[in-house]
Amino acid sequence: MRRWPVIVVAAAALGALSGAAAYQNIAPRQGEQKDEQQGEQKGSWQEIAWSFPRDGWPAGRAFHCRGASCGGGIEVYVRPKLGFCNCDRGVADDDEVDRVADVDLISQYFVPLAPGEVVQIADMAGRTRAYDLKPSDGSRRVVIGIAVSRRCDLLVAVAHGKGDAWETRRAALALLVTREMTRWMMAAMEGR
Amino acid sequence: MSTVCFGCNLETVLSCLEPTQIGFERSGWNMSGRLKLAASFGLCFLASSGIAFAQQQVIGAPPEALNMKLVGTSDLQARSAYQPTIHHQGERWIAYIGHHGGSDEIPAPLNPQTGKTEPNGTSIVDVTDPSQPKYLRHLPGQEGKYEGGGAQMVRICDGKALPKGDRNAVYMLRTFGGEAHEIWNVADPTSPVLITRVAGLKDTHKSWWECDTGIAFLVSGAPDWRTRRMTQVYDLSDPAHPQKIRDFGLPGQEPGSTGAVPTELHGPISTGPSGNRVYFGYGTNKGGILQIVDREKLLNGPKELTPDNLRSPEIARLTMSPFNGAHTTFPMPGMQIAEFARDKDGKTRDIVMIVDEAILNECNEPRQMVWFADVTVEKAPMMISSYTVPEASGTFCERGGRFGAHSSNESMAQVFYKKMAFIAFFNAGVRALDIRDPYHPREVGYFIPSITAATDKRCVKIDGKDRCKVAIQTNNVETDERGYIYIVDRANTGLHILELTGPARAVAGLP
Repeated sequence: MRRWPVIVVAAAALGALSGAAAYQNIAPRQGEQKDEQQGEQKGSWQEIAWSFPRDGWPAGRAFHCRGASCGGGIEVYVRPKLGFCNCDRGVADDDEVDRVADVDLISQYFVPLAPGEVVQIADMAGRTRAYDLKPSDGSRRVVIGIAVSRRCDLLVAVAHGKGDAWETRRAALALLVTREMTRWMMAAMEGR
Repeated sequence: MSTVCFGCNLETVLSCLEPTQIGFERSGWNMSGRLKLAASFGLCFLASSGIAFAQQQVIGAPPEALNMKLVGTSDLQARSAYQPTIHHQGERWIAYIGHHGGSDEIPAPLNPQTGKTEPNGTSIVDVTDPSQPKYLRHLPGQEGKYEGGGAQMVRICDGKALPKGDRNAVYMLRTFGGEAHEIWNVADPTSPVLITRVAGLKDTHKSWWECDTGIAFLVSGAPDWRTRRMTQVYDLSDPAHPQKIRDFGLPGQEPGSTGAVPTELHGPISTGPSGNRVYFGYGTNKGGILQIVDREKLLNGPKELTPDNLRSPEIARLTMSPFNGAHTTFPMPGMQIAEFARDKDGKTRDIVMIVDEAILNECNEPRQMVWFADVTVEKAPMMISSYTVPEASGTFCERGGRFGAHSSNESMAQVFYKKMAFIAFFNAGVRALDIRDPYHPREVGYFIPSITAATDKRCVKIDGKDRCKVAIQTNNVETDERGYIYIVDRANTGLHILELTGPARAVAGLP
């Protein structure tokens, strides 16, 4: 007989917890709503399939942007590379960006447009650099390589589009600093 | 104290636990079927954790071993250890052991001999009596933690072997963090004397030094190269006056090149003028490449840094799976393969053993292991076999730290060469392989040292927080001409000197 009060209290607690969990999943937070509105203004990002064949690192996430501020369209590919960084120096120079930032996924042949710049994404410091691609079809495209690190691990992103380098980089960084992407990147850097 | 429960039926699980631990009897509950089911799942989970916990090493537990026996130990002042080199020096046997930088907790451990804290460098240990190693000297290295400091690598040449060396000297070539290569005279191993430095680098790693010619293949980071590690070829036949011969790397790594940057170098091994080959290993745990190079063309070919000149000494490459790197590329030319003895052709084969390096804790990467390549037809090198420790044999993915290969012994002394190989396998200790038939390598022994109070933890991030475990991390292994096996620990447990026992001795032909 003494079981009933315990069961009722447990059921009520479970119900409350699951309700809260459901709310967390369903209701966008105020900040997220703001992010989404800003996203619309900046261009509409849509997640697409990772289009590259398997290599040494697991596939990451890929996004395509359509919209006024995305020029002729921008694609961004982002993934962690765990254990691929100089643990002490991090992404210290442009050679490191050339080496790790997945630009070679787009093309093996790329030429830097200018020295890179320091960048900060999700509390991780690193560098970004713009490249000119010379694809086999003869068209010219701009690619942005981004590499940031935490301890011995890297997070890299590559963005490419037909617009100018500055605009492509601005759009890619705007995507990467959204709360959803930050949350995913932090989890991915833990191998989750 | 943990209880180990095998199997996951409720009775088994319940029988493992004291009634007071469970608490059901005391509360007088009569469990319903569903509650029993829930309890069963919960307790199975706890029991599984218990099994995993039981596989973790505990201080005071004996080492795990098969056909290998502990002879002696040195704590190496609880410094994280990398490359050991054992040198027969006069009447003595001296072990020179490179160290990584210190840890976050202890950046510069105490040297009890000086009473001072010192950045990790090189340990010099007299192992003439392997059962009682005598710690002679700690020679500090570059300040800095983990891979960012210390003096990880060490090679030794007698002055009388080098063409222009001081006949009374014994030369130690070591790295000084990522910043320089140094040569010391260690004729008196208690009082090393600095001879020369090759400095101004952005990184260093596992170099190779031919004692009979003095030619050294120094793994360096020349500041203007696009990769952290490439090769600087030096003539160190007169260690006091290093002469640079050339820089070398894969096309695309040289200054001024553009496009994709090929995998960085890990280390070369040369067969000297007689073999006329240098086997370069690129990569650690990813994108491995075995590059076979004509030594003569490398030393005497055009040196200007053009893609053609870099390509010119290359005979062939074996591109490995992107899942694996080439940490060590150990050549074994002219192996007589018993299985092929009656074949008209191909009785002897040129073999290269390639060892990957695991770099992530708790199996967060593809398995890093050992590969054997047949390079008899150099233009068409082919992987012929592989070896790994079976994970389930010790639930190594749950023990903590790294699990996977790191390095092999590099001594070519007759006692083990082309017969046995010893592989440092991090938390699976050292593994002894019978490689007489490299098409079918076979494990014949192993030794996993006990952990001590000095053994450092290894952590992974779970929900933003460190979850740490303590396990042995056998990082490197070397052998001497007497047949002793020296293993050193990355997690500060020190040096263990081993010998083979039982059937494993017979493989090496030891009495």
